[in-house]
Amino acid sequence: MSKVSRLGASFRDPSGFLFTHNGGLYRQINHSYAAEYDRLMGSGLYERLVKAGLLIPHREVDISPAEPDLAYKVIQPESVRFISYPYEWSFDQLKDAALTTLTLQRRALKAGMSLKDASAYNIQFVNGKPTLIDSLSFETYQEGLPWVAYRQFCQHFLAPLALMARRDIRLGQLLRIYIDGIPLDLASRLLPWSTRFNLGVFTHIHAHAAVQARFAERPIERSKMQAGMSRQAMFGLLDSLEATVRGLKWKLDKTEWGHYYEMTNYSNAAFEHKKRLVAEWTERLQPKLVWDLGANTGVFSRQVRGAEAYVVAFDIDPLAVAQNYLQVKEAGEKNILPLILDLTNPSPALGWDNRERDSLAQRGPADLVLALALVHHLAISNNVPLPQIADFFAGIGRWLAIEFIPKSDSQVQKLLRSREDIFSHYTREDFEQSFGRRFKIHSGVQICESERTLYLMECVKPLQ
Amino acid sequence: MLIFISGLMDKAPYLDPGSGSFLLQLLIAGIAGLGIFIGAQWSKVKAFLTGKKVVKEDEDDESDDEQG
Repeated sequence: MSKVSRLGASFRDPSGFLFTHNGGLYRQINHSYAAEYDRLMGSGLYERLVKAGLLIPHREVDISPAEPDLAYKVIQPESVRFISYPYEWSFDQLKDAALTTLTLQRRALKAGMSLKDASAYNIQFVNGKPTLIDSLSFETYQEGLPWVAYRQFCQHFLAPLALMARRDIRLGQLLRIYIDGIPLDLASRLLPWSTRFNLGVFTHIHAHAAVQARFAERPIERSKMQAGMSRQAMFGLLDSLEATVRGLKWKLDKTEWGHYYEMTNYSNAAFEHKKRLVAEWTERLQPKLVWDLGANTGVFSRQVRGAEAYVVAFDIDPLAVAQNYLQVKEAGEKNILPLILDLTNPSPALGWDNRERDSLAQRGPADLVLALALVHHLAISNNVPLPQIADFFAGIGRWLAIEFIPKSDSQVQKLLRSREDIFSHYTREDFEQSFGRRFKIHSGVQICESERTLYLMECVKPLQ
Repeated sequence: MLIFISGLMDKAPYLDPGSGSFLLQLLIAGIAGLGIFIGAQWSKVKAFLTGKKVVKEDEDDESDDEQG
């Protein structure tokens, strides 16, 4: 019996939709989009974009469509190892995704097509590079018509980038509230007044917001908008957007963890010992999907072995994630995806019916979760009792490599310095007992020259 | 031209492009176009005064769009 279900995030565009069939992911193309799809494939644009790593490759398949009455074709896109969202990206990831979108639009125009949407959610990191995953985003370009996705581009990319660069890096998190990008009037109000002297930001955000407000109650007939936007002007607009995006730079401030490895209290030998254990254990387990929680700049993520291993390196600190992403870019690493995540408030399910964007747990379970030098932050800084921490890990991974740092350790002492010690249940015995309820502890290795222990556990009672 | 426009009207985009966002693009296009026009005229005046020929730039360079 085959099982077909339509994806919750795929409903806005009438051109087609995503569905799963016996565990595989497919995209139905509707008859209404047939001509555009044939043009994408026939013009050579598809081939060029795929070759450049700008568009996800797909193949046409012969399976029954989810809605046969509407169906023109069914395609199977190449699978993406981990779906991430713009509110989890560092500044440079969002910036690169923006530049990729502009490149796609420029190349589409040269082939007589245009992007009909510019959603940041259509971009995913594939082999370390931002890539368009929605093959149905192209339509035939009609000279004279302005870019239909201009507003969406400004809301999804330009506004958050400007706010992060010119006001505060944490404002990227507004994308979590506004699922269709940050409203331009809000961005305009939040940006420093001085940004009006930046021609691009002034035009595409401040003036844009003002014009939107002026015409909000006075919709203009589309017939009156057709003329005037020549092909050359369209390229000019793209140049202006690109220059504005490139001109936005985040000055790397000192954040919480950016220099973490320079401030650790343990020896080089202990550090190397931990690295060796991660390499040995992953060599043995051969995990495919690894979540490194509290990955910092990804030092231990890079110790993960396994032919098919893909490591998602989460950290709360935007600077650490930014540095990690720069390393990925510089070295052309294809199997590491750095992301920003606050584990005390992980990404929830969002959007219409809470089904458009998956929560962190919905994107799991991982084959292996790494939690190195992490538990004391959850247990002491965030007051989460150890049994609840064990439950959380049992909900997201099959195997767990987790480090326990006792109270006597100076890093834990530092956390306790400014507060009363109410953590009588934070002991190695309590830790083993709490995790033992859900995990089988395969090994517990004392890290040399330290009081820390690294455990390898297998989840035997996952959360339902 | 009218047939062309009515063709566009039939195929409404699924996104709301926003009236203001559409108008702003036309405005930018207009200002940019004016700038290019003035620039071109100025080049001609300069060329006339200096006696040098105006060299046309190739606008369609494929190498413009590689990302780092």
